[in-house]
Amino acid sequence: MAFRSHVLVCAGTGCVSCGSLKIGTAIERELDKHGLRNEIQVVNTGCQGFCAEGPVLIVQPDGVFYCGIQDKDVPVLVEEHLLKGRPVQKLMYTPPAAAAPIPMLAEIPFFAKQKLIVLRNRGLIDPERIEDYIARDGYSALAKALTEMTADQIMQEIKLSGLRGRGGGGFPTGIKWATCRQAALHRGVEPIVVCNADEGDPGAFMDRSIIESDPHAVIEGMIIGARAIGSSRGFVYIRHEYPIARERLQKALDQARDAGLLGTGILGTSFNFDIEVVQGAGAFVCGESTALMASLEGRVGEPRAKYIHTVEFGYKNLPTNLNNVETWANVPLIINRGAAWFSSMGTGEVADNPWNGSSGTKVFSLVGKVNNTGLIEVPMGISLREIIFDIGGGIPNKRTFKAVQTGGPSGGCLPEALLDMPVDFDNLTAAGSMMGSGGMIVMDDQTCMVDVARYFIAFLTEESCGKCTPCREGLRCSLDVLTRITEGKGEASDIGLLEEMGGVMQDACLCALGTSAPNPVISTLRYFRDEYDAHIRDHRCPAGTCKALIHYEIDQAKCDGCHACVTICSTGAITGQVKYPHLLKQDLCIKCGACIEACKRDAVLRV
Amino acid sequence: MKLVKVVIDGIKTEAEDRTPLLQVAQKVGVKIPTLCHHQLLEPYGVCRICMVEVHMRNRVRMVTACNYPVTDGIEVFTQTDRVRRTRKMIIEWLLARCGQVPILNALAAEYGIVEPRFGRGDDTCILCGQCVRVCSDVVGANVLGFFNRGTTRYVGTPYDEPSDKCIACTACARVCPTGCITVDDEAEQIRGELPLGPMTPIYIPTMQAVPHKPVIDAESCIHFKTDGCRVCASVCEAKAIDHGQQDRVEEIQVGSIIVSTGFQPVDPGRVPQYGYGQFPNVFTALQVEHMVNASGPTNGQVVLKNGETPKSVGIIHCVGSRDKHTHEYCSRVCCMYSLKLAHLVHERSNAKIYNFYIDMRAAGKGYEEFYNHLLEEGCEFIRGRVAEVSDWAVTPLEQNKLVIRVEDTLVGMVRRIPVDMVVLSTGLEARADADQVRRLFNMSCSSEGFFLERHPKLAPVSTFTDGVFIAGCAQGPKDIPDTVAQAGAAAAEAMALIDKGQVELEAYTAFIDEKLCSGCQICVPLCPFSAIEFNKEKKVSHLNEALCKGCGTCVAACPSDAAQQHHFTDTQIMAEIEGVLVS
Repeated sequence: MAFRSHVLVCAGTGCVSCGSLKIGTAIERELDKHGLRNEIQVVNTGCQGFCAEGPVLIVQPDGVFYCGIQDKDVPVLVEEHLLKGRPVQKLMYTPPAAAAPIPMLAEIPFFAKQKLIVLRNRGLIDPERIEDYIARDGYSALAKALTEMTADQIMQEIKLSGLRGRGGGGFPTGIKWATCRQAALHRGVEPIVVCNADEGDPGAFMDRSIIESDPHAVIEGMIIGARAIGSSRGFVYIRHEYPIARERLQKALDQARDAGLLGTGILGTSFNFDIEVVQGAGAFVCGESTALMASLEGRVGEPRAKYIHTVEFGYKNLPTNLNNVETWANVPLIINRGAAWFSSMGTGEVADNPWNGSSGTKVFSLVGKVNNTGLIEVPMGISLREIIFDIGGGIPNKRTFKAVQTGGPSGGCLPEALLDMPVDFDNLTAAGSMMGSGGMIVMDDQTCMVDVARYFIAFLTEESCGKCTPCREGLRCSLDVLTRITEGKGEASDIGLLEEMGGVMQDACLCALGTSAPNPVISTLRYFRDEYDAHIRDHRCPAGTCKALIHYEIDQAKCDGCHACVTICSTGAITGQVKYPHLLKQDLCIKCGACIEACKRDAVLRV
Repeated sequence: MKLVKVVIDGIKTEAEDRTPLLQVAQKVGVKIPTLCHHQLLEPYGVCRICMVEVHMRNRVRMVTACNYPVTDGIEVFTQTDRVRRTRKMIIEWLLARCGQVPILNALAAEYGIVEPRFGRGDDTCILCGQCVRVCSDVVGANVLGFFNRGTTRYVGTPYDEPSDKCIACTACARVCPTGCITVDDEAEQIRGELPLGPMTPIYIPTMQAVPHKPVIDAESCIHFKTDGCRVCASVCEAKAIDHGQQDRVEEIQVGSIIVSTGFQPVDPGRVPQYGYGQFPNVFTALQVEHMVNASGPTNGQVVLKNGETPKSVGIIHCVGSRDKHTHEYCSRVCCMYSLKLAHLVHERSNAKIYNFYIDMRAAGKGYEEFYNHLLEEGCEFIRGRVAEVSDWAVTPLEQNKLVIRVEDTLVGMVRRIPVDMVVLSTGLEARADADQVRRLFNMSCSSEGFFLERHPKLAPVSTFTDGVFIAGCAQGPKDIPDTVAQAGAAAAEAMALIDKGQVELEAYTAFIDEKLCSGCQICVPLCPFSAIEFNKEKKVSHLNEALCKGCGTCVAACPSDAAQQHHFTDTQIMAEIEGVLVS
């Protein structure tokens, strides 16, 4: 049945949690009321990326983008736009500084600068329908790989494309595949392919969104990879905390199996392959390859020494090729469009040596103190400034930019001076951070960098498996020192001590969680040393967030005695008569900062 | 096997490709500290104290020596600044958790740590996991495991409950480098009750054991409890250990047999007044013999049950010998072995020794001289049968002592002698199964139960069964020289038979006329030499003339006159009688 118009409602986790599914049914109800059900179809899509404005929807073919839809807006929307053809202005997106809303999706800066490769189908297809994926050329790459290409040719194409592991390590995918196949042939055993969907970084949701919006892309990539490596058995190791992604993936696998794209004799060829979904049990460290495989085998998810790589001895001692969700999702397009097309995006000449640069695009989850939080996909080599200020729409509340933290908890914080640095694997590593899986947290001038370092170290201390000494004890000791500094009890020798501990951890930890764990400390020490000095020497927190180092005062000249702060203060620390300047008792104040939010005359000062 | 070249701290060596670096370093004598490593366990690589610097082509890496596989051309440095700094920091971190652990403090001293920068914690577990791994990978009991994660990680049993899967093998405590795991007193007590039993599941029964080879005690061997372990098999270079070995019965065809089944010591429990089994410090002579053996459980030290050295020891002779309640015969060897023990115990513990004897029987070459020597050593000899051993103290001197009450027949009075240790010189008696053995070989036993020789003077090693000889204490109590001499004689007799290759039959053997035999089988059990068998197919008795001694019992008993004896047939005997009567 042909429809004259489609309403694409975002059903990513962010929008679902804002009630987008209810909005979808409400629209259908309204359509029924107006008898439009045969003309207009409501489609639940995967994450459309603009999570900050959810729930969002797009009306096609008009290309109009609506955001922040509430239940009460639905009748208006249906009646005005869908019935009468008049787009509803007040539901459109208005950039922070602009006066007028931007109706068209393509014109919104958040979307305009992105280049969608991995997320090519996001917001366009219903991820739960394999037909939608096939309609967008889905599984054509698989057909090509199985019928027109040899395993060597597939391998060669991936190698030439310069694709590097999107899970954070940036290891060239082609080399990994080739080593795995070689190891399997050498030992005469069958290799295993695994998709790592154990995305545990705080503030990162790239992998989840990819699976939620386009699960078949990942499956297709895995089948092609299995064909190249010579495997017949695959796993997807996915977080237990991702129920929607897991359901959609399972559904997609069932559909692919029914369609003859998985199982025995795929597409009528002699190639057999099937994928099993395995759930993680909530440990961050299980994103590390050896820990993941231990968990996959049913043992405790703890890493082991990698002097013998998992491509040689991985899952149950079989050669195992582990790639991240995003890496797998890139594969079908490289096969379809060719290595040259892929490597034309990004930095460096990668055809000869994939280590020379970073080709393709990268998906980031842009969060923190930035106007347009959400999921973005940009070509490698784009500058941080473009990401944060053009796509992200700058810093909210007229604050200024201070730092951007990339690469998840073990990444580093980069200062304003590096904003024009092109983003790729090697630049980020050289700057003391890392690509990681693509988390990007923007911080404004009200963020204390010592506290940020302390936060991430606390996270890692919590998530360390505790197997090796430097990670377990080193993180604990680092956290003690950082906590001491944020409490104003730091000593001059602490900075040297932190640096020394960081160096030893980088040298001595068992797995990448440990060796990269000191990054938050080392990078903040490198770029924001003055803040450490201020804490230690002057007992002052420049950003005003370390509670032990600040206190609140009421500016007697500015206070007009409105009583707003008195009402909100939960400990009764503020007293005073209405219309007379109030007083704050320091001994009762718990420094929650509620008063400063409540005061309309900026009379409460954080000192 | 591919050999690769490796340089460690300037020392050039060769090793098998992918051997763990630590092994190679140990081989060339380069010392690398370890905490989580144990030679019986797979390398674990978590304490990270064994970090070294590896240079390979242009690459420099810090690796853990315990599990890093060596490859060709690597150069290893174990004492660079970077290595020392890393180790030092790791020690400081571990001290922050376990501040008082000796092994860490020794390392701290070696690396010049005076006061650790993160303080000293009061834990004792460094989470090296040796206990967990030995329990699961070696013992196979799977009792211990890690719980929680990160800084709250700890070693424990499931649900922190005492586990019934624990077999109390104490392997975890043995491998623990910090002394964090201790073995409960209760378990020590159990061990304490068996001070003279095997101390480990693998042991050589006695120093004189023949063959002189270790055995595995299946009762205490971990493998037979959990099906795991097999550490002994993995370290045995000769691959001599086979846990699957079973007892088996073998049939061997032989021409002659020497029965030398030995004796058994008299159970001292049969002489209850001496308190064996009642007082912990009453031992048998054999137990003390074990104790004074340099390779015995106490390394040759004479100790009481509480581990102290005795100050006085009483040796009671003739326990179970020369006593109508047990055995009336003299066991022959007790006097001399008691003297030997008296000498050795005195030598090892410097204790005052008392011998309680009935008569000193030092009949043998040099025996009397030895007895005189002991007299010179100051050993006390009290003549008289001991009445009882008790712990009933009458005087303060007898407090916490064993009191031996005895009538000293030389001075004619009853004495009470307080001692720390009592040794019972138990006599020798025939083995409990001697009667079954006797039946098997158709031998005779004397009234004491020892096997009877055919003639005490003319055939002292032969029995009434041809081809069966006896030697040693199976024949009667005797000491080692006598036993060896008798064994030589028995062997010579057996050899003589073998050498001859044939057996001379008696001329007057019996025979059974199959035509007359009714198959009543009366003769079969009557034959003292087991020479008659019943042939089930023919339903007649058959006589083996090689075994028949011509005693005539079967001939006299046969109701149908089928059994007859050569040269003694009825007609011959009647003719002889007639001849006698005629003359």
